[in-house]
Amino acid sequence: MAETIAQLHGTPAASRGTRAGAFVRRHRLAPYLLLVPALGGLALVYLWPLVQMLLYSFQNYGLPQVTGAAPVQWVGFGNFSSTFADSEFWLSLRITVIFAGVVVPLTLVVGTLVGLLLNRLGPRMSGFVAITALLAWATPPVAGSVLFYWLFNPDGGLVDWTLSKMPHWLVGSTNWAGYNWTTTGALQAYTVLTVLVVWTSFPFIAVSVLAGLKTVPAELYEAARIDGASPWRVFWRITYPLLKPIFLVLLLLSVIWDFNIFTQTYLLVGGLANRNEFNLGLYIYDKGFTFPPSYGLGGALAIIFTLILLVITVGYVRTSVRQGALT
Amino acid sequence: MNGIVKQFHKQFPQYKHTKVVVDWIPWTNRTTDWTNALSSGKGGPDITELGNTDTPGVAAEGALANITSEVKTWKSGSDIIAGNLANDTVSGNNYAVPWFGGVRGIWYRKDQFAAAGITSTPATWAELVTDAKKLMAKYPGTYGLGAPSDYTNAIVSFIWGAGGQVAVQKGGKWVAELNTPQSEAGIKFYSDLLLTDHVSPSKYIGETELGAPGATSGGSDEDFAKGTLDMYIDGPWAESSLEAVSTKYQSDWASFPIPSQNGPNPAPAFAGGSDLGVWAKSPNKTASWDLVSVMDSPSNATTFANLQGFFPEFTTALSGGKYSGSAVMSGFAKAAAYTQISPLNSKNWATADATDAIIPTMMKSLMEGASFTATVNKANSELQNVLNTGSES
Repeated sequence: MAETIAQLHGTPAASRGTRAGAFVRRHRLAPYLLLVPALGGLALVYLWPLVQMLLYSFQNYGLPQVTGAAPVQWVGFGNFSSTFADSEFWLSLRITVIFAGVVVPLTLVVGTLVGLLLNRLGPRMSGFVAITALLAWATPPVAGSVLFYWLFNPDGGLVDWTLSKMPHWLVGSTNWAGYNWTTTGALQAYTVLTVLVVWTSFPFIAVSVLAGLKTVPAELYEAARIDGASPWRVFWRITYPLLKPIFLVLLLLSVIWDFNIFTQTYLLVGGLANRNEFNLGLYIYDKGFTFPPSYGLGGALAIIFTLILLVITVGYVRTSVRQGALT
Repeated sequence: MNGIVKQFHKQFPQYKHTKVVVDWIPWTNRTTDWTNALSSGKGGPDITELGNTDTPGVAAEGALANITSEVKTWKSGSDIIAGNLANDTVSGNNYAVPWFGGVRGIWYRKDQFAAAGITSTPATWAELVTDAKKLMAKYPGTYGLGAPSDYTNAIVSFIWGAGGQVAVQKGGKWVAELNTPQSEAGIKFYSDLLLTDHVSPSKYIGETELGAPGATSGGSDEDFAKGTLDMYIDGPWAESSLEAVSTKYQSDWASFPIPSQNGPNPAPAFAGGSDLGVWAKSPNKTASWDLVSVMDSPSNATTFANLQGFFPEFTTALSGGKYSGSAVMSGFAKAAAYTQISPLNSKNWATADATDAIIPTMMKSLMEGASFTATVNKANSELQNVLNTGSES
């Protein structure tokens, strides 16, 4: 082996390589060259489909166009205007926004509290709690949804059964034993979804907050304690300002994740049949892919969805840069 | 199917070495599989079974081969129920042939009816509700009649049963008629089964007759088989899935047609069923049609239909009183005499009912307590829009 390598170094090819190396060094191209494979891959699997989607969104692209049974027609902004005229689009947008508005703060609060708890616990207990919580986080969305489907099932689900055994003055006189949580209304279905999503996403927040807390010098807390500061004050005066960059990133990620909830919603609200329980993801899938599929409309919707998320993301990145949190 | 392949080889010696592969796919996956086959151009079948409401839409997507001339020379073609063959045409061209059919009716239990003192099956809506309440009084803890909201193919029978229409064609355009007084009476009756009569449980809101969409358990079918639902709307084909839940009450199962508002004739039932079509991209179209003609010969189609609890599509096979003798089949056989398809066979019906779920969404909103007139009017204008999208059907 060693011989082969030595021989290779002696060949003229190697000197050409050296010249190229000098060129790269002179123009400081090395970082860009290292990025090329990744960017190339991204362009192939991500950018090109994105361009295609953009083109489809201005066409009446569906199955007859794929099979060649009918010609492709440009429809201008037709896909967009019909979306904005559809009351179901606005309903699904409202559900998505309200759902994120409830779930994001809940996740962050629960996650932060558990993170603070983990920081105070001894190593053994902290490990136990962290592992238990992370099991929820590691539960695949499908498994978690099926679990909740059974818990809240009107035919003997554990939650329904428990509620039906409770006294009426506590839980109301609803017939809980046969209560259908998932398909009878958006409020019921998203109550279940809120519990499910908070349960599976708070551990990540907790562990991230814990990681941040480990970087805060213990002297700060000690000094605060000596000055007689309450835990509430300690959190807002020391922990929060120091961990602000972490909180911002977590907030941003949570918003994006909770906007994108699809698997759990699809499984719990009964696929695509319950239209007044759609969030944006289900709405897009329904419009784009149920038979007969309309890829043009689906593309337009995906673009609208991406723009909404971009607005949120850009907004947060801008404020955080201005506050110097991310620099 | 093996016997059919043997006949196929015998009848068409040129195919005696042709292998026939049958791929059984779950019914709910059919449109996804078609879509994948069409968009990728791969994995398509040579022959496919289609729901008769699928056929016009699938043909309009360019998925099916035009078999007009083959059907014209088909010797069994003249015996097939003419209206059902007409259902498989788009702009005068034939894209599929009816294979077997079925209608929905109401399943009940003879022992329960006798115990509750019901001597004859209900023939009007008022009797239907009275009987449902009698059954609930006799069997506390059960519900009288299941009314799932996501059940277009049954809801239309109530609209038709009051003399209403879902939509009618006038001058080449579809006019939605959900908000005529007759249609509204039917819609109101169905939603009131839950809202004012309380004979259907609220857990069926948002469900199909088989439970939460996509789920395989927990629906009204299961409750009927278990004995917690006294009357259940479905077709005779449900028997195999009812058996799978419980056979405890099987000997008492029977059926009657969905009553019309004031009787005495039953409400028109939606003429459901399945077709056979040849895939447009199939490389073996001639052989495929030849196989279809064997599968859909009067004797083979009748055997297959009987096996599954369906009716054959041949007028000669239907007459002769074979079905009136069986308790389960007799009610459905009665219902089969009063059927309607339109507008469930219009080209855009798939969009109206599967993609946009107009009638299920309307029924669900009503059962959740939405304002009646506003909800029905909204559904009506949506339906008219969707049915008239694109070229005329």
